[in-house]
Amino acid sequence: MLLVDTKYFGTMTCEEESAFDFPLGLPGFEDETRFVFIEIAEHAPLVFLQSLNNSSLCFLALPVPVIDPHYDLSLSAEDCAALELPAGCDPKPEGALVLALVSLHDGFSATANLMAPVVVNVRRRRALQSIRVDRVYSHQHPVPAAQYSEGVC
Amino acid sequence: MLVLRRRAGESLLIGSDIEIELLELTPHGAKIGIRAPRETIVLRKELKITQEQNALAARGLASEVLEKFSRNRLKNVSPGR
Repeated sequence: MLLVDTKYFGTMTCEEESAFDFPLGLPGFEDETRFVFIEIAEHAPLVFLQSLNNSSLCFLALPVPVIDPHYDLSLSAEDCAALELPAGCDPKPEGALVLALVSLHDGFSATANLMAPVVVNVRRRRALQSIRVDRVYSHQHPVPAAQYSEGVC
Repeated sequence: MLVLRRRAGESLLIGSDIEIELLELTPHGAKIGIRAPRETIVLRKELKITQEQNALAARGLASEVLEKFSRNRLKNVSPGR
């Protein structure tokens, strides 16, 4: 078990298998290479990406299918290699989890970054933020309140 | 936006010390060479957008939302996987 100081929930105990390596960090947060994913029933489907190096850093994320069930994930060969997924693979049957980081604006309106989803190889416990170079998806995709505030109010 | 037409091998200059050369054109994209002073930051735009968006996302919850989270805060939470 890991003892984790969290931004929102005080000190928590988490299972080792809730921790994921981000070998490259995230753009703008390159030193943050280890996160624990916290899921709490009251806040589902939100996932809290809590940095293990920095207790004051915690991203909010939503599983991409919650936002867009038809999202078409596109991973470069480099990203597949970094995730230790076979190149050209279809990530879905390979046990990949795809999350979108959520930003809250003025407290209540939320957007999700579908341009740069966090892709997780659940089996290898590795993750990265994969930046799309096409312009198919927005980095500020509106998220209807019902998708994130369920249980918050 | 200023739009210029360039062929492979042709360059353009920005200011006195930045040169952009169109090295190669293929159906998959253009290969571009950049000659600039070491202190000039060159970033792919989508990376810059992602850095900025991550900074915004890291600000986290506004206080009134956080308060609601705190009110619901569970003791001795053991997260599900």
